[in-house]
Amino acid sequence: MLPELSHEEILRYSRHLLIPEVGLEGQRKLKASSILVIGTGGLGSPVSLYLAAAGVGRIGLVDFDVVDTSNLQRQVIHGRSTVGKLKVESARARMLDLNPSIQIDIYNEPFTSANAMQIAKDYDVVVDGTDNFPTRYLSNDVCVLLGKPNVYGSIFRFDGQLSVFDARQGPCYRCLFPEPPPAGLVPSCAEGGVLGVLPGTIGTLQATEALKVLLGVGEPMIGKLLLYNALDMSFDFVKLKKNPKCRICGPNADIKELIDYEEFCGVPGHDHGDEGSAGAGWDISATELAELLRASFVLSEVEGQRTSSALSAKLILLDVREPHELEISALPNAVNIPLGQLAGRLSELDSAEEMVVLCKGGTRSARALELLVSAGFKKVKNLKGGINAWAREVDKSLPIY
Amino acid sequence: MPIVRFPALMKFYVDNQSEFPVEAATVAELLDALIERYPALKPHLFEPTGKLRRHFNIFVNGEHVRELNGLDTPLEADDKVILMVSAAGG
Repeated sequence: MLPELSHEEILRYSRHLLIPEVGLEGQRKLKASSILVIGTGGLGSPVSLYLAAAGVGRIGLVDFDVVDTSNLQRQVIHGRSTVGKLKVESARARMLDLNPSIQIDIYNEPFTSANAMQIAKDYDVVVDGTDNFPTRYLSNDVCVLLGKPNVYGSIFRFDGQLSVFDARQGPCYRCLFPEPPPAGLVPSCAEGGVLGVLPGTIGTLQATEALKVLLGVGEPMIGKLLLYNALDMSFDFVKLKKNPKCRICGPNADIKELIDYEEFCGVPGHDHGDEGSAGAGWDISATELAELLRASFVLSEVEGQRTSSALSAKLILLDVREPHELEISALPNAVNIPLGQLAGRLSELDSAEEMVVLCKGGTRSARALELLVSAGFKKVKNLKGGINAWAREVDKSLPIY
Repeated sequence: MPIVRFPALMKFYVDNQSEFPVEAATVAELLDALIERYPALKPHLFEPTGKLRRHFNIFVNGEHVRELNGLDTPLEADDKVILMVSAAGG
């Protein structure tokens, strides 16, 4: 039995009730439905707002992050007044302001193999709005094992992807991507950036697909993938079929329960992008680097060497960010070789010199360090936390981005 | 000539182009031609063993090459080849 709508709800949803594909019965279906939104960031913001406005009866939100000023360029469910607060609480307050007649369950915890099945089992549909590979594989596997549709969206710079993975009727995420990219090969939004409107475009499409699935109308994007490019405003649709070798939904599937996704992907299950570390013994903190630079500068003065190039004579600073990022903040005398070009430009560097590698948050530089070490460089360190850490701890005149 | 489309994640390696024509009679030839023109692409497309990386998908006119003839899928003039890579951003 579907729940009845109150007079107030009938007024609120009147534009839905006018559409034959929704109507009173459809709106009651939505009221009886539940959706789990994983991540309340760029994609999760429009998804949650529109699902709340549409009257989906119960919406679950999973996130363990707090709202940061750098989120507000795209995460429109949050606001200046909730910076520093838990994202799930910030989102719930905004959604209930939009529609107090729905139920919002919040899970202020990372979505992991330990809790994912328990959290997801009582929802009709899962919307994947996460920002990292481990959680994407986890969301997929949970949906395949529980037999639920997974409304997938992902974004990078000007590019978006959208599909509905439902292994009961079509391919799953693993059919398309049997393995994640090697750690570090594909940059995240925290490293590479994203146009603020892009998650709005893809997130509203995800919300649309989720509503279509719940209502049972139209043709959901099962077995189809949208590749959207905002720069040339192109929408390419490609067909997807089940992969007969799929490890979780194929005929010879060997994954029968959740696995360790961070291990599978070789990266952590979050994308903060500002705590990059190269591991024990390879990191140098911003304050340690400041000490080192002071020492090498003084030493050069004593030796009467060229002070202007003193730093480069004693210690090479290698900045592996893109050139346009150096316009935001930079360290004097740093050599700039973007990470993508480093492998081809190693001959420009002297492995005998001491070197500190840096980027925005320490993630790309940690990768650069791996590359340098594998090429025989030994006296290399990674600036932990990147130039943002330097701006926080040493030179407060520099902006943090 | 077939047209190849690149995702934003990889444009960096092909002079920031989203799409351009490549002279090739098969998908394999197209990949070879790309790598010859842009050698930095190679480690991104292929594992050290020479196998195509598994977070990559190639579509010809909207069909996955797995459903066609794999890397031997023939290409004709005006065919649209989409290189697609997984992105985690959200």
